[in-house]
Amino acid sequence: MTNILIFIVGFLGIVTLVQILRVSELMSAVHKQDVNEVNEKDNIFNSKMMLIVGALFLISFFWQYFEWKHLLLPEASSEHGVIIDELMTFTMLLIIFVFLITQPLLFWYSYKYRKGKGNETAYYFAHNNKLEIIWTVVPAIVLTGVILYGLSTWNKITNADVKGATVIELYAKQFNWTARYSGADNKLGSAHYKLVSPINPSGTNALGVDTRDNDVNAAWKDDIITTPVDNVVHLVKGQPVLLKFRSQDVIHSAFLPHFRVQMNCVPGMTTQFAFTPTKTTAEMKATEGEDFDYVLLCNKICGASHYNMQMKFIVETQEEYDTWMSSQKTLSEKVSTQTVITELVTQK
Amino acid sequence: MSDHHKETFITKYIFSIDHKMIAKQFLITGMLMGIVGMLMSILFRLQLSSPGEPFAILEWFGVDWNPTLDANGNVIGTPIMEGVLDPNLYLSLVTMHGTILVFWVLTAGLSGTFANFLIPLQIGARDMASGFINMLSYWFFFAATVVLLVSLFVQTGPASSGWTIYPPLSAVAESIPGSGLGQDLWLISMTLFVVSSLLGGLNYIVTILNLRTKGMSMSRLPLTIWAIFITAILGVLSFPVLLSACLLLVFDRTFGTSFYLSDIIIGGEALHHTGGSPILFEHLFWFLGHPEVYIILLPALGIVSEVMSVNSRKPIFGYKAMVLALIAIAFLSFIVWGHHMFITGMDPFLGSVFTFTTLLIAIPSAVKVFNYLATLWKASIRFTPAMLFTIGFVSTFLTGGLTGLILGDSALDINVHDTYFVVGHFHIVMGLSAIYGMFAGVYHWFPKMYGRMMNKKLGYLHFWVTFICAYGVFFPMHFLGLAGLPRRYYTNSNFPMFDELTDINQLITTFAIVGGLIQFIFVFNFFYSIFKGTKATKNPWESNTLEWTTPIERMHGNWPGEIPTVHRWPYDYSKPGAEKDFIPQTEPLKEGEEEH
Amino acid sequence: MEGTLKNNTSKQLLWIGMIGITMFFAGLTSAVIVRSADRGWESIIMPQWFWYSTFAIVLSSITLMIAKRQVKKGISPTFYIVSSLILGLLFSCFQIMGWGQLVSDGIFLTGEKSHPAGSFLYVITLAHLIHVLGGLISLLVTTIKSAQVKYTKKNYLGIELTSIYWHFLDVLWLYLFVFLLYSLK
Repeated sequence: MTNILIFIVGFLGIVTLVQILRVSELMSAVHKQDVNEVNEKDNIFNSKMMLIVGALFLISFFWQYFEWKHLLLPEASSEHGVIIDELMTFTMLLIIFVFLITQPLLFWYSYKYRKGKGNETAYYFAHNNKLEIIWTVVPAIVLTGVILYGLSTWNKITNADVKGATVIELYAKQFNWTARYSGADNKLGSAHYKLVSPINPSGTNALGVDTRDNDVNAAWKDDIITTPVDNVVHLVKGQPVLLKFRSQDVIHSAFLPHFRVQMNCVPGMTTQFAFTPTKTTAEMKATEGEDFDYVLLCNKICGASHYNMQMKFIVETQEEYDTWMSSQKTLSEKVSTQTVITELVTQK
Repeated sequence: MSDHHKETFITKYIFSIDHKMIAKQFLITGMLMGIVGMLMSILFRLQLSSPGEPFAILEWFGVDWNPTLDANGNVIGTPIMEGVLDPNLYLSLVTMHGTILVFWVLTAGLSGTFANFLIPLQIGARDMASGFINMLSYWFFFAATVVLLVSLFVQTGPASSGWTIYPPLSAVAESIPGSGLGQDLWLISMTLFVVSSLLGGLNYIVTILNLRTKGMSMSRLPLTIWAIFITAILGVLSFPVLLSACLLLVFDRTFGTSFYLSDIIIGGEALHHTGGSPILFEHLFWFLGHPEVYIILLPALGIVSEVMSVNSRKPIFGYKAMVLALIAIAFLSFIVWGHHMFITGMDPFLGSVFTFTTLLIAIPSAVKVFNYLATLWKASIRFTPAMLFTIGFVSTFLTGGLTGLILGDSALDINVHDTYFVVGHFHIVMGLSAIYGMFAGVYHWFPKMYGRMMNKKLGYLHFWVTFICAYGVFFPMHFLGLAGLPRRYYTNSNFPMFDELTDINQLITTFAIVGGLIQFIFVFNFFYSIFKGTKATKNPWESNTLEWTTPIERMHGNWPGEIPTVHRWPYDYSKPGAEKDFIPQTEPLKEGEEEH
Repeated sequence: MEGTLKNNTSKQLLWIGMIGITMFFAGLTSAVIVRSADRGWESIIMPQWFWYSTFAIVLSSITLMIAKRQVKKGISPTFYIVSSLILGLLFSCFQIMGWGQLVSDGIFLTGEKSHPAGSFLYVITLAHLIHVLGGLISLLVTTIKSAQVKYTKKNYLGIELTSIYWHFLDVLWLYLFVFLLYSLK
């Protein structure tokens, strides 16, 4: 029934429009003027609209900023995040400056130079080398500054010293994350996708960590894998971490907006990102509200539940971290060494 | 060629080799696809403003359409359960919206229409170099359209891995329902599309190089033709690379090779693929993908330059600089693709190089904006609907271009990559700008296309509502992005940190619906004016370019007698010493008159 | 006047089309470069058939050059065009035999035992062969037209276009062959 109504309303709307247009065109034929020729009235109307809408646009820009400022991400909670924020502020101020000069100019010119009484002819002005050189060279100089500043920041972030950083692996799959701490030796045991349990019946863990090496000091032995029940990553304030990313199925992207960290997780390869958290969760809760939590989001389209692929991060003091850590079981405490290996892996 | 061929209905309206008819075919197909793409965006905007709530309109759209399948191919529920959108369908809509708008509307709809229509008319040629290839180009495009539309109705749904179709999501059918038949059809459709673009591009280049009328030197070409020429070169150089990327993807999908796939477990099964790299696909894809952005933008820049000059009654400022800027932008577009991949773990040094080249694009873009402003300065602006869209273009090109400085900077990209900041940026700088260019073109050349005028008042209504709503939709998205909201999320209600963003989303959706509906005014105006619009005069805008010297009645061959000779550049408006404020290109230079 | 214009535009259309094809193969070969710089890469010994096919296609280009000279002099070029056609067919056969040899060497296009290096070799040669197919068709058409004496001293655009495209395929193959030889070492 509603559908029929919609059709009827739509149809009547079109008929009305056609009739209005017909009438207006007939009227103009009576008055011997072309209904679609742009006249003085149109120029005045549209040039005024340019001024009004232009002004509204700029006002709305400020309105949006002040109205939504509190929704933006809080100050970075990591060392490199602070320099990203500084670069961001600098670039933002620069582009807002240019924005606030050029946009008003555009709307003002559109208003001021309408055709009409007093402005029947335009000023023939085809080119001016001096002007053109100025507005090529000035942006070029400004951009050189932006580029140099940007690159120095980029180099600081990507060349971060990772020695002494706690190594943690983040393993992505549709549609959740699992973390693996490297344990006391700060080394992750090697892994192979064909050892992932239960895909491989003889696999011992969900990340495919190779548990065949029986040496007491084997890297895998003190690795700690988070469980679905307690799926949280714990970090220590001020302690650098080196996140290593793997993916089981499709491309995911690990996005930690509060730390200004993002890196793709690509099946078949390992990627990494190093950073140092600077604020504990408790400190953040104090300023941002009780329900604040650091979260890890997936930021690369990965399937139906892409929107809900999350994991909590907790930043705490060394003592809290140690207490938590002492309650964790290492991989070797959980599983016995693999003895039987299905032929899957040996094939390579 | 110059004699009037006998035309039957079929050769005139369907398998036409007349460039003007082919242009109209491209335009109308593009417009219809535009409506489809726009309606899709309204559907997912509704979902985003009130996630998980039922909508009568969704119920109406498809009850049994596109069911979600589990690993065994069984149907899980209905995609639109009593008006609630399913997450897979959401991703399909996002993907198809992107594909349709980027390729169908803004590449074929824009380039296909105006390249075909304007090249012969503005350079003074009877038709394209090869009318047959031109016709083929449209019919490949039509076939691509049909295949793409068919893919909307397959059981597992259309492609849903994003318009960038990154593998493994697009390569492994089990990873997402849309990666089955829907993705196959997407790839077939895209192959047909690329063939169409290449055939078109070949023709545009050769026509511009060879068929210019006497006196039409390259330095007297209107900027529209310059822009289309450079666009065509970009297309010929970049589309084949997309084809090679798709070829390898097809082999991975269908024949089990491992170009892009490695160490994958999906649906509880370990796949045999080893040694591939999805990053390889990204490199190949973006080698097309970035020039593609300029394939979309450059024709709009050309149209805007032309329309602005005509309606300012003033020469476009810095013609040579405009051409050089176009060339510089086109050249740079080939060496910046890596800025889409800063966070794929690429070598930091490479990241620096791409940051450098990317930010360089700001220089020619700035030159263009300043030249537009200088054109408006001391002009005598006549506000036709086309002119309004032109001014709108400058505004969006400026706003969107500026945020590009943030996204092009690798260090800043870390935290805004793939957030709504990006969505806001590219919709404004390339989506809105290009569509404004397209609207400007349609309003401006409609009298030449159909011999009638489009209704002026509806045009004004269309512009003002569109302009306000479009900014209302895309400007707040920057704030969403800076709040950390990722794109392509079915809903953001699963993260407490995004709860407060609901208001912004509702605001955006409201603007989107109003802005979307107003486009029907344009569609109505367009079709109404074809049949009932007031009759146009030969040169209604008092313009200098050659197309306005052709007779009002459409004819194959464009000019009844000799093709006119060109004596001057196309921008002699308000030249001191002339009787009228425009001097057509066909008018010889007066004694002692300098060219410009 | 009209005639030379048509000649020019046809040739330009072909040239620009060939630039497009070049970009397509540039895409594929740069994919090989990117991928081989990455993790493990296998070396493959090029089947000897590919050497024979290289010889065949170079020879076919030479016969086609002679054909063009003949028609310029006004002599029927049919024999030489047919020779090119046969050599072209031979090239295609050798390519297929080359694949056979690859399979017996244990290099597969797909499946568990395949490696991207081998798959690239198959796909690139296959893509080239598909373009050769187009060349063979136009050679066939040229042969028929030549046998019907459609070409004259002044009007031999068909032969010209075919030979431009065929030489292009030849050069393209030489490039691909050397490239593959080097990058699969």
